Amino acid sequence: MRRAVLPAYLLFSVAPLAAARQPAPQILGLRLGMSYDQAHSRLNDIAQFKSEDEGQQVWTLTHDQRYQYVIIGFDRDREVRYVTALVRPNGKPVTYADVGDLVHATRTGGPGNLRYTWRVRDKGGRLEYLVIAKGKDQHHLDRYAIKRLGVESEREDRD
Amino acid sequence: MSSHTASSVHRATSFNLQPGIILALAALCFATLASAATPSSSTLSPVTGSSASWAGSGIAGATTDETTCVDGTDCDVYTITLTGSPANYKGLVLAISISHQIKLNDYDLYVHKGDLTGPVIASSTNGIPETGESVVIDPTVSGTGLYTVHVVDSNVAPGDPYSGVATITTPPADSPAHGTPPTYANYQSSPGLGDSSGEPSIGSNFNSGRIMTLALLDTLQVTFNTSTSPATATWLLKDGPNTNITTLDPILFTDSITGRTVVSQLFGTTSLSSFTDNDGETYTVSQGGGIASGVDHETVGGGSFRLCTADQLFATPAPCAQLAARGPLTQYPHAIYYASQDIGDAAMALSQDGGLTYEEAHPMYTLVDCGGLHGHIKVSSSGIVYVPNKGCGSTQGLIVSMDNGLTFTVEPVTGSTSNSSDPSVGIGSKGRVYFGYVAGDGHPHITVSDDQGRSWQHDLDVGAPFSIRNTVFPEVVAGDNDRAAFFFLGTTSAGDGTSADTGTPFSGVWHGYIATTYNGGRTWFTVDATPNDAVQLGVICTQGTTCPSGTRNLLDFNDVTVDKAGRVFAAYTDGCITAACIAKSNNATASHTRLDNDQATKATIIRQSTGLGLFKSQDATPLKP
Repeated sequence: MRRAVLPAYLLFSVAPLAAARQPAPQILGLRLGMSYDQAHSRLNDIAQFKSEDEGQQVWTLTHDQRYQYVIIGFDRDREVRYVTALVRPNGKPVTYADVGDLVHATRTGGPGNLRYTWRVRDKGGRLEYLVIAKGKDQHHLDRYAIKRLGVESEREDRD
Repeated sequence: MSSHTASSVHRATSFNLQPGIILALAALCFATLASAATPSSSTLSPVTGSSASWAGSGIAGATTDETTCVDGTDCDVYTITLTGSPANYKGLVLAISISHQIKLNDYDLYVHKGDLTGPVIASSTNGIPETGESVVIDPTVSGTGLYTVHVVDSNVAPGDPYSGVATITTPPADSPAHGTPPTYANYQSSPGLGDSSGEPSIGSNFNSGRIMTLALLDTLQVTFNTSTSPATATWLLKDGPNTNITTLDPILFTDSITGRTVVSQLFGTTSLSSFTDNDGETYTVSQGGGIASGVDHETVGGGSFRLCTADQLFATPAPCAQLAARGPLTQYPHAIYYASQDIGDAAMALSQDGGLTYEEAHPMYTLVDCGGLHGHIKVSSSGIVYVPNKGCGSTQGLIVSMDNGLTFTVEPVTGSTSNSSDPSVGIGSKGRVYFGYVAGDGHPHITVSDDQGRSWQHDLDVGAPFSIRNTVFPEVVAGDNDRAAFFFLGTTSAGDGTSADTGTPFSGVWHGYIATTYNGGRTWFTVDATPNDAVQLGVICTQGTTCPSGTRNLLDFNDVTVDKAGRVFAAYTDGCITAACIAKSNNATASHTRLDNDQATKATIIRQSTGLGLFKSQDATPLKP
């Protein structure tokens, strides 16, 4: 089991680099639309639960050299709606270009508050999602998020 | 608004600072002639009568609050060292006072534990025409060692130096709030208006004297006819062009000084928003907000930009230039901020053009720091931005920006515990923060900070006079620095009155209460502002969309504001409006569960009828019903 998980983890860890042309709908092996149980199985492999607020969970990554926390939210069907990864202070830096081809991203903000956004539809056309990389630095991001479009959160406080 | 041009920055800088430069030069010249407090320090021992006095430096100036003064120019410092251990001061206090002669001048007094970077443990910020400020400190609580007395020229003309005295003495007798409590009247929205309310907002336009309120999709202009007593209210529908269509969260904000009202309806990944400068007669459609991905729990607020005074500009030009770059870019003089929860964080965007466009939002905090949902934005008169949060670690929290929404710090509200309602802050005219919240035990609490949330004092259960055991929707507004009003819904019934009510139905009668302080939060009058007409029977569920039908009719918050006369207005949704429901609410032996409630959503305003308002300058003209 452990031998099977490790290669998969390595694969997921380099996924942003491998999929740089088209940002993938997954971070650290946490894929948009994944079931709650599947996501927790994956999270238990790579992180420790930290806290929960309004159905959104914060997990502390145990071994990742780039990211320190992952925040995950679920939709009403308890499938992964969004994943946000926060970089580890003094960790291995991640560039915006590691996430995807910057030519296809919308750049907003300015120095000290940069944001690249990719709006992506998967090959089957069934999944539309946003990929967002934000940071204060010109080259290196502070956080990296993927979010499904067209779904509502599990406990969205809307009226 | 994603970028600034050099010329626009230059315009902003010039607009704000050119008039001040000449004054600053004069102040700087004057400062070179001034000296520090004389003497500059003393040591006191734990003996009744141990005393010291000093003379102020005689400088003059005007500041907004302690954060905008420059030491040696328009504020000065005197230090006191208490010898011995805290236990030596049992039955003793440190009393510090300052006084001056001319009633048109205004000094303020702050006392830090330790040096100036230490917490403000006591303050006295009376205004004109008072000629003295005083504080009392208990060394058994605050400790011995160094205290720093910071005297700030709030508005002082040359030639009226202050003098100070510090004495070890016996403590003054505690006294409850004295005087006459305020009274209130309720005004239900006209038939056909505000019938589908829920989480209402309210604002006061000081220029027109009108009240603006948002009841879900109805933007309502309310005019009170005071030629009769009690006053009558005229409610008019004044919807914006794009704010009566749909909403995922409604919010209205009125800048009382400029008279601009911003109406915003959360809509998918942004908001539909418009603003009006004439109480809804005409609108300008705005960009909506500065957050371009899925958002929730939006809030809009605003007020003064944080800009340097002339003295600060000379003392610290580089950070002042950075602030100026985030100042106004148009003739509209104030900042407007839009904030909401995003994916894993909460972010805030500044508008430098009065709410027409917004910059790319800056992160305030992530879910690692605090819960995602937050209360509403408030801005101090010196431009400090505050956003309250019900859960930052194990306590409530206050998110603070000192640079026009560029960076943020998260300050824990020490001594507090978390609950399900969003907290609220009111900011006094000289920067005192009043933080109203629901404690973990359901009781309504309010606590005070004089140092931008770094330390807290006077945490009180203001529901105690009524034995309130369940509370929702804390809302705070402040006027003068030492005056504030705290509006909340409460019930005296025990049990979980905010749950999904899945077991034995909760039985409780909810009323709207307003607690008011006139002495900086040391004591509060608490009044039942809806004494004969309950707001709700049974639970007020605060569990979001998991609440069963009919228990979340009031949605997530209420609101409170103050008009130019200092009169307090509160907006709430009335869930119990029929004669049958009201009769049950007034029958102590009747059932008071959700099954007895109307589950109505009627927009209603509470208007202060009598008593002192929140502005002392208006006390000479008593409020009339």
